[in-house]
Amino acid sequence: MKEKLMFQNAPHVRQSESVVTMMTDVIFALLPIYFMAFFYHGARSLVLGLVGIISCSVLSLLGSFFLREKPVPDLTPIITGLIIPLLLPADIPYYTVVSACAVAIFVVKVPFGGTGSNLFNPAAVGFASVAICWPELVFRYPVTMQAVEVFGKSTVKIAQSPAYSLSLGAVPDYNILDMLLGTAPGPMGATNILVVVACGIFLIVKKAVNWITPVSFLLPYSALCMIFPRISVSPLESLCYELFSGAIIFGAFFMLTEPVTSPKRDFGKLMAGISAAVVVFLFRYYGGFEMGFASALILMNVFSPIFDAICESVLHVIRHKESISDSLKAEMKRKKEEKEKPVVRPVKKVEETEAPGIPEETEVPEEPVEIDLSEEKEEEKEAAQL
Amino acid sequence: MSLFFKGIFLEQKKEPMLTRSTLVMRQEFEYFDCDFPDTAIDELSGEQIIELARLAEIVDESDGKMLWEKLEKANLGEGGTLIVDAIDDEPYISSQMSVGIHQPEKLSLGIELCERVLSPEKTYIAMYRHILDSNFGIPRKIGKYPVKKIGGLYPAESRVHRHLPKGKNSVIIGACAMLHLARAAEESRKMTTCFVTVAGDVVKNPRNVEVPIGTTAEKILELCGLTEEPEAIILGGSMTGRAIFEPENETVGPTTRGIIALARSYGTYSYTCIGCGRCDHACPKALSVCSMRKFAEAGKLDLLQEYDVSMCIGCGACSYVCPSRIDVAATLIKAKKQIELAKKEGTL
Repeated sequence: MKEKLMFQNAPHVRQSESVVTMMTDVIFALLPIYFMAFFYHGARSLVLGLVGIISCSVLSLLGSFFLREKPVPDLTPIITGLIIPLLLPADIPYYTVVSACAVAIFVVKVPFGGTGSNLFNPAAVGFASVAICWPELVFRYPVTMQAVEVFGKSTVKIAQSPAYSLSLGAVPDYNILDMLLGTAPGPMGATNILVVVACGIFLIVKKAVNWITPVSFLLPYSALCMIFPRISVSPLESLCYELFSGAIIFGAFFMLTEPVTSPKRDFGKLMAGISAAVVVFLFRYYGGFEMGFASALILMNVFSPIFDAICESVLHVIRHKESISDSLKAEMKRKKEEKEKPVVRPVKKVEETEAPGIPEETEVPEEPVEIDLSEEKEEEKEAAQL
Repeated sequence: MSLFFKGIFLEQKKEPMLTRSTLVMRQEFEYFDCDFPDTAIDELSGEQIIELARLAEIVDESDGKMLWEKLEKANLGEGGTLIVDAIDDEPYISSQMSVGIHQPEKLSLGIELCERVLSPEKTYIAMYRHILDSNFGIPRKIGKYPVKKIGGLYPAESRVHRHLPKGKNSVIIGACAMLHLARAAEESRKMTTCFVTVAGDVVKNPRNVEVPIGTTAEKILELCGLTEEPEAIILGGSMTGRAIFEPENETVGPTTRGIIALARSYGTYSYTCIGCGRCDHACPKALSVCSMRKFAEAGKLDLLQEYDVSMCIGCGACSYVCPSRIDVAATLIKAKKQIELAKKEGTL
């Protein structure tokens, strides 16, 4: 019996859920989106996903080699590799995906210490970098229901996405049902709104992501879109067009909920969600790019530690509520007592005016005199020090 | 407030130990002589009861203090409450609950004696309610004493004070200690035994046993039998106990509540923290556990103090929920000890 016994710290029972199960859930949630992309754009979408997975995995292995760490099979590079192609058009050249993955792993993850230490969302930074480098490739989308060639130059018709029309202030050519089903052109994984929402709900049910983040982002964002429409349509139509274009829902479920870069507590997540909604809205309202989500998300990642600090300060007060109230009560009691001390003042006057004019019969209580003397001594000491 | 002070839901796994009767290990009892042997139990005065607790050397298993000292020092005053601790909110452990369920007469007598010393206005037995994985129904009353079902998530023991009236004194005494007090009054028997839950997935006959204090863990496991060699043996509760390597040398004490033999240890693998914040949400004291772990690993004791690490009760909820299997609780408890040491040395 003795030989087999192993050391372990308390607690000795642990939750069956682990990082691997969480990440597997996310991968499972991404697979239907890839299936829809395959349905709309053909086998190239799957090859893009594969390229993303392979490049992220190989690069993170290289990264752990450079950091001289044992590689941890935590599946996070696979998720980054799966998310990046979904934000890009289906006919994007493979080297663009590899570049985005390289930025995500080598600029965002490895320099800060690998998984769990990145300051920004790797997929968002990867996407933003290729959007800046190759905007002519990233912001033009092939029409759906036509298979894009796996190799060689794409011959599929190119169209502008509804998000582009919205950024110009024009009503998109596509009706809302098209956008809901994903037949409108756009990023390969972000147009199938129904599937994306179903996958997001799956993640929430499996507790891989916290429901507060997407809800606290989508509700204020919807409200803003309805109050300040960019196009002259009814508020509800404006809401649908804004919400279903530009990877907003995909980002809300799969990117904003990334655990490393989002605040830790529910209250922090709520604050982050609301402020992200405002920032994304402003980026899309005034920004030059039609896909303002990634840039806004990168900006919001900076504020996550601040939201955490705010939560901690609030909780610190709550934790110490009793002791703080006790100390306040004690302070008030002390002040009250000081006010109600009638003995000290007359004696002080007597001490101050110890001139020969005072009658000798004045009785001075012993104790207060001592107190005053000591106070005077202290004052003298202070004066001497000054 | 429960929005922040959450805790965790635990599968209790208390069956079949709870419903089975307590197994008593063969032993020789020790008895004591007192100055008032002929006094009837109903006529025992408060001082005599304290003397009985002292002679019987009864230790309260809930906090490890001597019962007679607790009874002597306790000053409930007006409107005070006596709480009998039979909460057992840790998985597998049911030693205190089984005392209440299988030996209600003895427990009632023990409580009656304590009441005579403390003269509380209210007395109740506290038991953990959320044993959802079994059909066991907690009784409403044990003897004439009401059972208060403590609900909510683990750790429930730290929430007992919420059920008390504000501004009134209270005292918590373990159920096993009460039972030993009843035995001391009835039979002049010393406390030479303790109640231990023997459980785990490799234990052949899991149940609550009454064993002499000082029995080795190996002997107790032999009594209940093992189906296969365990990879981990735990002395104490499943959430707060410690893993032992030499079961032939490790003995049970008056505060030991369980021996758990597990086929598989949870393993030594651990991923890096992904910052999911589950530990923060699980903490029943609403501490920022995720940040504190980072400070503890970096040795920043001053920051840890600012984040109230001293409030950590070591319940292990943070480690339980961690998907990266990081020993968060162990790190924080170690840091807490370091801070206490540094304070003593005057370096902090």
